[in-house]
Amino acid sequence: MAGEKLDGINPTRMELLNLKDRAKLSTKGHSLLKEKRDALIKEFFEILDRVQGSRDEVEKKLAIAYAELNKAQIDMGDMAVKRAALSVRESIELDISSRSIMGVSVPVVKSKSTHNDVISRGYGFAGTSANLDIAAKEFEESIKIIIELGEIEKTIIMLAKEVEATKRRVNALEHVMIPRINNTISFIEMRLEEMEREQFVQLKVIKRNMDAKESE
Amino acid sequence: MKKDIAIMADPDTVTGFMLGGIKSGFPVHNTEESKTTLKQLVDDGFSIIITTEAIGDELREDITKYTSSALPMIIEVPDKSGSHKRETDPMNELIKKVIGVEMVK
Repeated sequence: MAGEKLDGINPTRMELLNLKDRAKLSTKGHSLLKEKRDALIKEFFEILDRVQGSRDEVEKKLAIAYAELNKAQIDMGDMAVKRAALSVRESIELDISSRSIMGVSVPVVKSKSTHNDVISRGYGFAGTSANLDIAAKEFEESIKIIIELGEIEKTIIMLAKEVEATKRRVNALEHVMIPRINNTISFIEMRLEEMEREQFVQLKVIKRNMDAKESE
Repeated sequence: MKKDIAIMADPDTVTGFMLGGIKSGFPVHNTEESKTTLKQLVDDGFSIIITTEAIGDELREDITKYTSSALPMIIEVPDKSGSHKRETDPMNELIKKVIGVEMVK
């Protein structure tokens, strides 16, 4: 008898029937999980294309924003920029919901920037330079795409986790559970056949003994 | 959950992002401070926390712990010195883990 068997299974007809049901269920579950895994991986690749572009964009945008901030700091001095920053009004409205990809809930973030001109930002014009306005604008735009990037990255993290878990389950079924069940089924079948043959031989022996006795 | 953004980074980066309209700015100066601040922010229920790659590298374990559920999102952005080339980009690492095994299969 090759291969591992399930533990604690008696070679009875009842168990055999149960096991055959289990084998059917496992095979079905296996093919379903495999489909799920493939669908997840497809989704994963789609989102992967988006993350690369998004990251580069954020890096480029932020580099500009930092440069502008630097200029403003040179113009006005560190403290003045900080003071202006503290008086800036909140600009981003967030709306976070979630959607489900193959049963994995991933966040969807809708952000809305409420600042669209210099006046609504909230710092005074006295003592602030034009570079500060540019820097603020660049940062506002950066934040918007950073939030998008965050959403994509989070989606990737959640998907990756699910892909891994699904893969592990597919492999466990394919390489452990299903072979074990099949091994146990063939073990029980062989055992039952063996018992049948034993019984047959016993009957034969008894019959011969009885015949021998009769002919005496 | 509070639907809010926070920025936790070095003072200059915080200034920049506050200029961009994020109200909750938390300047931090060292690893110890950023560790406690990050915990505080997560406990306070900020849904999006922006931090720098430098801090992200220092607090890799904590961030992995906090980001295992759907929220909060912790986003790492380059700081003033630009994006530094990291030996292990956590995103790439994750992607490799998912696809790498798939290649072998």
